[in-house]
Amino acid sequence: MAVARSREVTTMNRKAIALVVVAGVALAGLVSVAFFPAGSIAAVVAVVDANYLGAALRLTVPIAFAALGGIFAEKSGVINIGLEGLLIIAAFVGIATTYTVGGGQAAVWIGFAAAVLASTLFALLFAVVTIEFKADQIIAGLAVWLIALGLGPFTARVIWGTVNSPSVPTLNDWTVPVLSEIPWVGPVLFDANPTVYMLLVAVPLSWYALNRTAFGYRVRASGENPRALDTAGVNVSLVRYKSVLISGVFSGIGGAGLALGQVGQFIGSGQTMVGGRGWIGITAYLFGNYNPIATFGASFLFAALDALQIRIQQIPGLDLPGSLVRIVPFVIVIVVLALIGKTRLPSAAGEHYDSDED
Amino acid sequence: MNASDLPSSVRRLLGSLVDASVRERIAISVAALFASLLVGAVVIMAAGLVATCKEPFLALGGSSFCYDPWEVYYQLFVSPFLNDFNTALMLKETTLLLFTGLAVAVAFRAGLFNIGAQGQLVFGALGSALAVLWGAAFVPTGVVGSLVLIPFGLVVGAVVGGLYGAVPGLLKAYADANEVITTIMLNFVATNVAFYLVSTYFKDPASQSVETKSVPAVAQLKPVLGRFESTSFSVWALLTGLALVVVIYYLLFHTSFGYDMRISGIQPAAAAYGGVDAERLVVGSMVLSGALSGLAGAVYVLMVLGRWRTGIPAVGFDGITVSILASNNPLGVVPAAFLFGILKSGSLSISFALGVPKQLVGVLRGLIILFVAMPEFFRMVGLKLGVGDRQPVATDGGRPVEGGDDDE
Repeated sequence: MAVARSREVTTMNRKAIALVVVAGVALAGLVSVAFFPAGSIAAVVAVVDANYLGAALRLTVPIAFAALGGIFAEKSGVINIGLEGLLIIAAFVGIATTYTVGGGQAAVWIGFAAAVLASTLFALLFAVVTIEFKADQIIAGLAVWLIALGLGPFTARVIWGTVNSPSVPTLNDWTVPVLSEIPWVGPVLFDANPTVYMLLVAVPLSWYALNRTAFGYRVRASGENPRALDTAGVNVSLVRYKSVLISGVFSGIGGAGLALGQVGQFIGSGQTMVGGRGWIGITAYLFGNYNPIATFGASFLFAALDALQIRIQQIPGLDLPGSLVRIVPFVIVIVVLALIGKTRLPSAAGEHYDSDED
Repeated sequence: MNASDLPSSVRRLLGSLVDASVRERIAISVAALFASLLVGAVVIMAAGLVATCKEPFLALGGSSFCYDPWEVYYQLFVSPFLNDFNTALMLKETTLLLFTGLAVAVAFRAGLFNIGAQGQLVFGALGSALAVLWGAAFVPTGVVGSLVLIPFGLVVGAVVGGLYGAVPGLLKAYADANEVITTIMLNFVATNVAFYLVSTYFKDPASQSVETKSVPAVAQLKPVLGRFESTSFSVWALLTGLALVVVIYYLLFHTSFGYDMRISGIQPAAAAYGGVDAERLVVGSMVLSGALSGLAGAVYVLMVLGRWRTGIPAVGFDGITVSILASNNPLGVVPAAFLFGILKSGSLSISFALGVPKQLVGVLRGLIILFVAMPEFFRMVGLKLGVGDRQPVATDGGRPVEGGDDDE
């Protein structure tokens, strides 16, 4: 649908949008303050503390990892909208494996590894289907999501008799001595879940890999001008396979981070415990214009909203309906999408590439 | 803005593209179905390996398999025809899927991916239930009441669904917001807002769960045929659904609006060249799609449940599968909806008789979409077997897979 109206969005615009969103959130806060008694104001403001930021950072893990993976896949020319499905599979396999192995932290780490492996295998399936068999990427991605949405609850019922699993242990937080004593920053950044540290490493690493390495250059060329890359003697399919597999590994860490880093249970009812975080991840990287750092910021914004709605519901005396507060992150996603409009996709994204050799 | 505005060569090209590949698409859908069942059998075997049971049907070495795929598929496909209760269940699901399948197909034809059928259905159902509850005070009981209330409920359901469908349409047309993501977000919004509205304002005080009062008997679509008495399947609803199939088919293939829709879906550039107002077409298609989903919601309330209750089944999501399996052809929606009606009814039987979780159908749903998405796979298999050598067709019933520069 690019008939004469593909709006380019500049970095400037994106900053403006980010400001608008932040201002909107602040305004919503002020409005709620105006409507609710004075005691509640203090309660709402008090929500934003180190604890809250820590929670927001934990909630960023699944969104940002899915988004980082999505960047690699889409930059290479394969639009992976199956990220939500990869998160579901990882969350399920992580919990099921930890449950089966049983025991302490070792079991959780084995579950974590299994989750990443499962998500990667699913991504491989998606890669084969889209690259080898030239499937429509959007529909195949949808299929990955729907298969995961069926397979998770189905297997959960086979194993546990219900779509929800029993509780399993979660990954213990890692505390960095001394640094964690720093007020505010310490408890947020240096007394956190291992998956949070992984994210804080993965974000700059992804940026570096995409922008400063030969591999990153090939990924971008594969999405922008596969013919040229092919002419230069690089195997386009291989680059795309690698990129999609990266999205599988990252989504696996994200899904496992959600299941084994915080929830400690698989919830298979409705949209499962993942609850749209993969879709939000897609919005996050569109918002972040495929830049891993900016994408992390966008993911954190969405996660902070999610954490806020959870906190607000827990304030005693502040009787906001949970079902309405829950929709806030989703509404913000829609608003952000409408504001950034059409992003400039890599030129060859969504297209198959045939080298003429076969 | 009609067909004659386009250069005749373009028209002929597009026409032949659509006609020539119909047989091929049917072949792909059937092949996809069988491939899914094959993979599904592996899933069933694996699940049976994990499950614990008293009498495994097969023991190999130290491991035992609880579920026999053959028996599972027998229950899945045959039990819906074995007694009136199951048959009514099958026809009920088929009826609902006709509406949501059509809804997704209409949007798809215009190049729009409406994943939001579920949310439009949830709101349509709520609107219909509330409208009928409100209107019941003004109409007499008996046939006259039914003749007024039921159409009223259906129309309100369609209007509410259509308005909710307009939201992603407007966002797509005027703000370029990707409809796949907005519709999925709007599904979450619909579920939560409907829950809030009912639990806060419209809850049946006598009930423990979040549900409205039961709509009066005159407003309920009754089972007409004696053998389906005391079931929640109404022949009237099925006939309405089938009539809509014909209407939508006619609209798509014999009106200028339908022509514009299809051209926009296949070749946006050609449509713009022909003078199609792209924005209005996007909004119009989404409204129509949303209205059909809302209608499904109304039928769900008036025929199945007799009220709105939280936890509406995923008929909207299944509509996506139905539409994709049908190559987004309204006529193809009929057999596809029927197939899923069978699966839905059969899923209860496998759960009841064999202890196999009914979520198996969810897995099959995803597998079918995956296989339909890769015609190239079947072409390769076909080539290996020495049949056919033509280029594959696109999954969305639109441009061929190889098309490169269409998106520029």
